[in-house]
Amino acid sequence: MASKKQLIELTVNGVRREGLAEPRKTLADFLRDDLELTGTHLGCEHGVCGACTVMVNGEAVRSCLMFAVQANGQEIITIEGIATGGKLHPVQEAFWECHGMQCGFCTPGFVMSVYAFLTENPDPKEEEIRPALSGNICRCTGYQNIVNAVRLAAEKMREASAAPVPASIME
Amino acid sequence: MKPAPFEYFAPTSVEETCALLAHYSDDAKILAGGQSLVPLLALRLAQPAVLIDINPVRELDYIQASDAGLSIGARTRHRTLERSPVVREQFPLLSAAVEWVGHPQIRNRGTVGGSLVHADPAAELPALALALDATFTVVDSSGSRRTLKSDEFFVSFLTTALDTGELLREVSFPALPVGSGWSFMEVARRHGDFALVGVAATVTLDNARTCTGAHIALFGVGETTVRSRSTEQALIGQKPDEQVIAVAASEVVNDIHPLSDIHATAAYRKYVARNLVEQALTEAVQRAR
Amino acid sequence: MAVSGSVIGNYVGASVKRVEDPRFLTGQGRYVDDLKFPNMAHAAFLRSPYSHARITVDASEARALPGVVAVFTAADLVGVVNPIQIDASLPGAKSLPHTALTSDKVRFVGDPIAMVVADSRYIAEDAIDLIQVDFDPLPPVPSLDVALDPASAPLYEEVGDNIAYHDTFTYGDIDGAFSAADRVLTETFRQHRYINVPMETRGGVATYDTSTGELTYYAATQSHNAMRFFLGAQLNLPGHRIRVIAPDIGGAFGLKFGVYREDILVAAAAMQTGRSVKWIEDRRENLTAGGHAREDTLTLEAAVKNDGTILGLKVRMILDAGAYQVTPLNPALFTTIVRLVLPGPYRFLSYAFDATVVTTNKAPYVAYRGPWAVETWVREGLADIIARELGLDPVEVRRKNILTKEEQPYKNAVGLTIERISARETLERAVELADIPRFREEQKRLRADGRVVGFGLATFIEPAPGGADYMAMLGGAKEPAIVKIEPTGHVTAYTAQVPHGQSHETTLAQIVATELGVPFEHVKVVHGDTQMGPFSLFGTGGSRAATMASGAALFATREVKKQVLQIAGAMLEASPDDLEIVNSTISVSGVPQKAIPLAQIAMLVYLAPTNLPPGSPTELVAMYAYDGGEGGWAQATHCCWVEIDPRSGKVEITRYLVVEDCGTMINPAVVEGQVCGGTAQGIGGVLYEHAIYDENGQFLTSTFMDYLVPTAMEIPPIEIDHLETPAISPVNFRGVGEGGAICAPPAIINAISDALGVKITEQPLTPTRILELMGAISVEK
Repeated sequence: MASKKQLIELTVNGVRREGLAEPRKTLADFLRDDLELTGTHLGCEHGVCGACTVMVNGEAVRSCLMFAVQANGQEIITIEGIATGGKLHPVQEAFWECHGMQCGFCTPGFVMSVYAFLTENPDPKEEEIRPALSGNICRCTGYQNIVNAVRLAAEKMREASAAPVPASIME
Repeated sequence: MKPAPFEYFAPTSVEETCALLAHYSDDAKILAGGQSLVPLLALRLAQPAVLIDINPVRELDYIQASDAGLSIGARTRHRTLERSPVVREQFPLLSAAVEWVGHPQIRNRGTVGGSLVHADPAAELPALALALDATFTVVDSSGSRRTLKSDEFFVSFLTTALDTGELLREVSFPALPVGSGWSFMEVARRHGDFALVGVAATVTLDNARTCTGAHIALFGVGETTVRSRSTEQALIGQKPDEQVIAVAASEVVNDIHPLSDIHATAAYRKYVARNLVEQALTEAVQRAR
Repeated sequence: MAVSGSVIGNYVGASVKRVEDPRFLTGQGRYVDDLKFPNMAHAAFLRSPYSHARITVDASEARALPGVVAVFTAADLVGVVNPIQIDASLPGAKSLPHTALTSDKVRFVGDPIAMVVADSRYIAEDAIDLIQVDFDPLPPVPSLDVALDPASAPLYEEVGDNIAYHDTFTYGDIDGAFSAADRVLTETFRQHRYINVPMETRGGVATYDTSTGELTYYAATQSHNAMRFFLGAQLNLPGHRIRVIAPDIGGAFGLKFGVYREDILVAAAAMQTGRSVKWIEDRRENLTAGGHAREDTLTLEAAVKNDGTILGLKVRMILDAGAYQVTPLNPALFTTIVRLVLPGPYRFLSYAFDATVVTTNKAPYVAYRGPWAVETWVREGLADIIARELGLDPVEVRRKNILTKEEQPYKNAVGLTIERISARETLERAVELADIPRFREEQKRLRADGRVVGFGLATFIEPAPGGADYMAMLGGAKEPAIVKIEPTGHVTAYTAQVPHGQSHETTLAQIVATELGVPFEHVKVVHGDTQMGPFSLFGTGGSRAATMASGAALFATREVKKQVLQIAGAMLEASPDDLEIVNSTISVSGVPQKAIPLAQIAMLVYLAPTNLPPGSPTELVAMYAYDGGEGGWAQATHCCWVEIDPRSGKVEITRYLVVEDCGTMINPAVVEGQVCGGTAQGIGGVLYEHAIYDENGQFLTSTFMDYLVPTAMEIPPIEIDHLETPAISPVNFRGVGEGGAICAPPAIINAISDALGVKITEQPLTPTRILELMGAISVEK
């Protein structure tokens, strides 16, 4: 009944990775099971909650709505690739300083979405922040400290404009 | 929630796609952005034997603007539309509406063609197609093309006029006539949700501020997006002041047959449609120069 | 607002950055679904699409699918999994015996009929599609109203009807109160059904060692000890052969306290197949079958004076408990807590309470963040209705009824001693900050412009953990902690708590470090493994931790500190009373040169004990079981301002204010985070969230497209002001986890009621409902 597995070769967090997967295996499951990068979480598997957010070729996407075979040849960044050289990225630091998480389950998805948002929009207006967060659901924080974290992260990123960027983005 | 098994193909050209469609026909579904289709697969509400992934078909990813209007390849992502300066300048109605489509992550993958062919009656793009008199270019498995007008394209709930084995290539929007104004409004339960009720409207006024044309498209109000001809007729030939607009807006209930569901009742949708149309017309008329 | 560190020494009261965060931020958290074991198999459940039916099952085709390890039905597990029958010792309560997998009938949409174990979840779901079930439908019991009808089809034939509990209680002089009343107001409040929805669903991984007969169950559970205890009972496993480990948990809000049928089944699957078995509930399962909360209807009759004083209250409560009871809590218990807490901070002494629990063809009723919350809604809703009916200011009605400081300690209607509550003070402070007169001016002006704006408030107290008598009423369980100084002078604190967002790894370390006198970074908090750490059945829930766990940690630390000072005193030739520990150094107060590092003492104890005086401890460790001391209540007043768009019925919260008092705050950022999170869930419940069944018991909100959870766009900024009832003992911390979710709904509903000028005794308040209440559209039947 299952269909034949296909070879998938892709770059994840700057490292060339490969695996074999049926076409129906989602990118989220492939990252978690086959590549053992479990930081990307499953919160709904139908594209609403954002816990599975990763970067594909520089854009934030819901990895539960992509198939691993679609990522063949692509560049993926997951939560495991945001800190570099053992140093947290300003977005991660800001979440920490602002008490922007409680149970932590939605956090990787938020960090990826915020990372993508601030990379494109380094100086966001106040009224742009909440819409940028609307594709991710949190049940613990009531969002207040996440909004604070975005503001602080933007400030940090502007200050340290030489902030390290994940290697694969630089190509 | 894991999808049932399927065979997978990733053609890189329209020609290849059509060949696959010819071969697999009813058994195949096109995978574009996946933002609507993949949840259905995950819930096993759809179990196609074959998925034809057109993401690698780059020849369908384009925005071409000219004085005559805008042509958009079916595989163009919502985000490309959102970021396009030429669209913002020439078709601000499209730019305004695409911001309401889901959330940023959805717009990064979702495609214009996918949204139109999925034909959700509460989605934004089908209503835009009606409001802007879009033309759809469709290609069949032998490669031959035909065009469909917007009022032919949306047939019923989640159903378009595409035949089995046909692929949407392009949607084009003619330039709005001089003296046109536009408005886009939506009421949803939460930001980014499908609409409870929405309106996409264009109004054209001549030098004397008399209405010479109007397109009022509603979404969330029935099995498909629909134009309110009664409202349009109540405007054409009139100078749309507050009174005229109010009367025209009240006509909208003649043209919509909304359903009740867990998010809103039919009575709600009728009431809000009327209010929304009134607000949208007011705004469109103000914008008309 | 960046979170600051603190001066070394006193960490209590500082918003110390959390130790949990680095791993969550980098994707290094280890939640149940992240766990992987060699040759691990995956479980999935075939769940009933019918709400009420007799069934016969044929799994033969599913078993034959390549990749399937086993398919279990109830028949396969007779003798392996005991029938489930939870405690029904509460007078008037019935137990509803059932099997882990359905035997001969299904009772709700989502009822687990069969379990597939396969090499992957993908294959398991393929196999589910191959299981044949014949359904013979029975008349549905889709609502509380139908369940009350004696003619309704009983879900449990042996019970005979759909009443799972009934009892009545009377306090004070009800007849006297009602005859003295100027007015008797009667209102029925309908609280709707909604769902906890933690971002991580339920799940567990069971591993079974066939050679030793030992089961290890990794579970997203709020109480590893309860899970272990009840799994043993259900699986006939001796207690010492089960280990439960709670890894990182992605939220729970009460959902993960139960020992579910699925937990029992997954463990049984591991035992039967000899493979480790993982089950992760998907979101559709979670919304459909994970458990639902809050659905109650309460009818209140209030005896009131014309000045707004409530003389007495008669309450009839009906709780819709769904189709099954979840181990270990009988849902009747929730009516008990509602009954005990409903008087809240009010003075009235005459009180009658009639409680009924019904069974319906719906998902089981589970605790959700302040499961008794309906009591605050109906009381605060009633207060506003009294104001409206009698032409009084809602704030004055509270002032007429809420206990003052001078009256406390006060023995309330149900015999609980209410003392050291500051509900009144939070109300006055909120009124001060809210500037209601200015809002009323503005409201007049805006109304003239056709705008619809309103203001509402609510005041409550919650048992966090409650007074000493309340704690005794609920069993008087003590909370243990173990604090151990390691040979290197660092500290490990073992708690029975199971944090899943509550920040205990940080807050308990703050307490221990402060109490002992060591840097915060030297303390590690260990939790969640039944093989180590102290026993408590409670785990984390019920707003107990701030008092109970902190108190246990504090006093255990004091014990171990005594041991250290005893040894240090001998070495420094000083009395232990003259010694202090600062920054891991023991010295004579005022004589810093007479000092010994803590690490040196620890090394002597563990590695060179002959250097110590006889009778010295051989380990530096202490356990303390804390009874809660005088206990206490947390309180708050919530204020909500709304503007409603009359063209769409959409409600915007334009301002939201909380004045709260939870005693001494261990970590203010954590307190505020809990208040914001709870309030957001209250907002979600009133305006967006609804678990809906149709008249056939079909479940209509099984995905996030239909069950609407608020995003950052739907939750406003929340202003928080703190009062702090001063300490009279070392443990002045009260729980704050549940308050937001309890007090937000009445504040919001009172604001909407004020805006529309209509009485509201229902939830949710969707845009459609708002327009119906405004009379703008007709009600559809």
